[in-house]
Amino acid sequence: MSELREEFLAEAQEIVEALSRDLLLLDQAHKDGTSTQDLINEVFRGVHTLKGIAGMFGYVRLGEVAHALEDLLDALRLGRREVSIGLLDALFEGVEVFQRLLVESPESPSSEVDLPAFLSRLASSESPGKRDAPDELAAYALDESVLAVLTEYEEHRLRTNVSKGMGLFRLRVRFSLMTIDTQLEDLKTRAKSVAEIITYLPSASGGDGDAIELDVVLASSAPFERLEEILGGDGAVLERVGRRPSRAPELAAPRPAARAQSTEHPAVILPPARPTSAPPAPSPTPRDVPAPRKELTADQLALRSVAHTVRVDIRKLDHLMNVVGELAIVRSAVTRLTEKLRGRPELRQLAIDLHRVNRGFERHLEELQDGILDVRMVPLGQTFDRLARIVRQLAREHDKEVQLVVSGAETEIDKLIVEELSDPLMHLIRNAIDHGIETPKRRELAGKPAMGTLVLNAYQKGNHVVIEIEDDGAGMNPQVIIETAISRGLVSEEAAAELSRDEALQLIFLPGFSTSAQVTDLSGRGVGMDVVKTNIARLGGVIDLHSELATGTKLTITLPVTLAIMSALLVRVGSREYALPITAVQEAIAFEERRVRNVEGREVLTLRGSTLPIARLDHLFRLPPAGAAKRFLVVASVGQKRAGLVVDALEGQQDIVIKPLGKSLSKVRGFAGATDLGDQRVALVLDAPGLLDEILAHERVLGEARR
Amino acid sequence: MSELAKRSTLMPAAPAAPPSRQADLRELLAFVLAGEAYAFPLYRVREILKPPPITPVPRASRHVLGIVSVRGVITTVVDLRRLMQVEETPPNKSSRILLVDTGGEVLGALVDEVLQVYRLAEDEVELAGVVGGELSDHVLGIGRPRVRTRDGEGVAREAGRDLLILLDPQPLLARIERG
Repeated sequence: MSELREEFLAEAQEIVEALSRDLLLLDQAHKDGTSTQDLINEVFRGVHTLKGIAGMFGYVRLGEVAHALEDLLDALRLGRREVSIGLLDALFEGVEVFQRLLVESPESPSSEVDLPAFLSRLASSESPGKRDAPDELAAYALDESVLAVLTEYEEHRLRTNVSKGMGLFRLRVRFSLMTIDTQLEDLKTRAKSVAEIITYLPSASGGDGDAIELDVVLASSAPFERLEEILGGDGAVLERVGRRPSRAPELAAPRPAARAQSTEHPAVILPPARPTSAPPAPSPTPRDVPAPRKELTADQLALRSVAHTVRVDIRKLDHLMNVVGELAIVRSAVTRLTEKLRGRPELRQLAIDLHRVNRGFERHLEELQDGILDVRMVPLGQTFDRLARIVRQLAREHDKEVQLVVSGAETEIDKLIVEELSDPLMHLIRNAIDHGIETPKRRELAGKPAMGTLVLNAYQKGNHVVIEIEDDGAGMNPQVIIETAISRGLVSEEAAAELSRDEALQLIFLPGFSTSAQVTDLSGRGVGMDVVKTNIARLGGVIDLHSELATGTKLTITLPVTLAIMSALLVRVGSREYALPITAVQEAIAFEERRVRNVEGREVLTLRGSTLPIARLDHLFRLPPAGAAKRFLVVASVGQKRAGLVVDALEGQQDIVIKPLGKSLSKVRGFAGATDLGDQRVALVLDAPGLLDEILAHERVLGEARR
Repeated sequence: MSELAKRSTLMPAAPAAPPSRQADLRELLAFVLAGEAYAFPLYRVREILKPPPITPVPRASRHVLGIVSVRGVITTVVDLRRLMQVEETPPNKSSRILLVDTGGEVLGALVDEVLQVYRLAEDEVELAGVVGGELSDHVLGIGRPRVRTRDGEGVAREAGRDLLILLDPQPLLARIERG
């Protein structure tokens, strides 16, 4: 059951994400005044499917919301309602509600979602319909028996097209019963670029045992010849559906039964051969002709698109990764045995053969590992879509005009990282809109365009993914930040006086810091920049801040591509080995004691003209000094931070699978986890960002930031 | 540990289901710390290991000996002798690590020697409440196993093995997290 439920949640999540994406497009299309029909259909299908599966899994509240939204969307589809900003707001809120409902368990609904309130808001978002336009349809020589069987939706599409001045056409095609599906699809594809298919009906002359004739009604602005060129061939006959002479005003009434006699008119849609009294839908076709009048349901569409994918619980991938790790340990054991064999002259040949086999094993193992890593990768686009929705919502709530420019959405990153990333990103976006971008009035006074720009950019840089969030808002004032920090007691006045501009900006990462004078609905949700920083650090990432007053703020987040496996430098301190992620290693050099200088109680040395703070790992970890004659300095850097770590030896580079330490060690700082080195040896993995923070911590100021 | 880090381990098996309180104290695994016999409820003990090399963790609580990898899962090993404040002797051939389910985490507990599994009759167990008020919260009671002869008659055991101190691993090991 729980597995099924997870399956449901995963699918529902996907649908909700797609909804959100489509709504954004719909919003855009509405603004641009382009056609919204396809998008409305898409959203409708999504909500419909969601309703279906919610019912199956007992998510009653979810089903209720889906049902209400479906009604709303149906009205849109059928033209009973028109797209409006208010209505879009309601739909966006619907997505929000879906997301909250997915989190709660169906057995114990949380009180957080006020469903009745939402549903009544939904009902009151009614915009005046646009009904009762003069019925232009009547002017067309469409057969009444055709009109009679149009669904409400088809009729709406017909009307819309006619009112836009599109031409109406009838195409008669003949499809074999065996291949009708593919031929119909093919026709739809070809028609798509030039025309909209309103409906298709079996023709009166029907077909024979193996074939069926269809009358397809199309609306298009293209000239007859062009349509014929694209849709003709294979015995297909295209005709234009002409206008009636506008002599009969009574025909303008909506679909009067009297029009039944109009079949004698020349360019009518059905051939005179067809008896007008014939029942419209069932045609003289045998057996299982797939009822072509039905639209494809959402389920059919969905089946098609996911046919080549499987959904996998990420824990299964973690498990596989673990197995790969164990295999790597087996491989190194074999390597050691091979070495032993080599020492025995009589077994030399055997050793060589074994070595060759082991190399082959190693190659495949690497492939396997890469394969698993690849599967874990997902594009950042999903997350960005979610953020785009938030940008829209926030901008509206705040009466600000914000344009979001997204690039690099295709950049891929580990699924687990993506999941942990959305909250911090959301918070940064909130901040940018809340504190960064000014109101249109203010922007104009400052000589900026009224519409603010928020840039979300991602790209891969080696083993890292960089995400930039940049706004062209007011920027941060270091003076204001310092004053705030002093008033909150985060820093003393003397210490503040010594801070550089950049250091002052870093103060916003301290716990308990918040510059906004009034806590707004947006940023004042209890999460500060310190939490953002901590969360990103937990992912092995760093956040850098750059801000110019009046010009804007740019935040740069650098993250590892994956956490599942990483390359590490093994270092030795005394008799203990530690692994340092290679992404944090800038270089490793021989350590010369005589170059160490003392600056205010801190050890530094000059490396290529710049000062490098250093830390001795044995001191840092309170280990007995090893007293190695020759020691090494590993220059570690994360983001803008840099420090040297003094170690006794470098033991080489190795790919490691980093594993978490148990809960009992969660309070121990300085380690990101541990790794199996094989041979029953376990090494601690150093937490580079944490250690650098610790080493660089300015005793008086940033020392607090660590906690 | 973040959610993320937690998920990157193998899923732990479902926590051991405690049987009824009585049975809880009837099936016991006995071990030795500094010459005294102690016991954990058997359902709490997952596995007994010969101690692999233990990697010390700097900055950890002094009760923590370090970490080991148990089939790929990093496991914290604590020194039960230090926790119980008894004499520590260097590990020898009979030293073992008990993998103990504390409810939240499976921890390794280093002991001097593992004795055996006891199944005690009701009258062989004195619950803590009966024994007296001065016992710590991690002592569940005292076990007095009798030697069973062929005809089922029980007599007292040799000195040093006649009394088992029944320990509750949960409050004991919770101290580690507090540091």
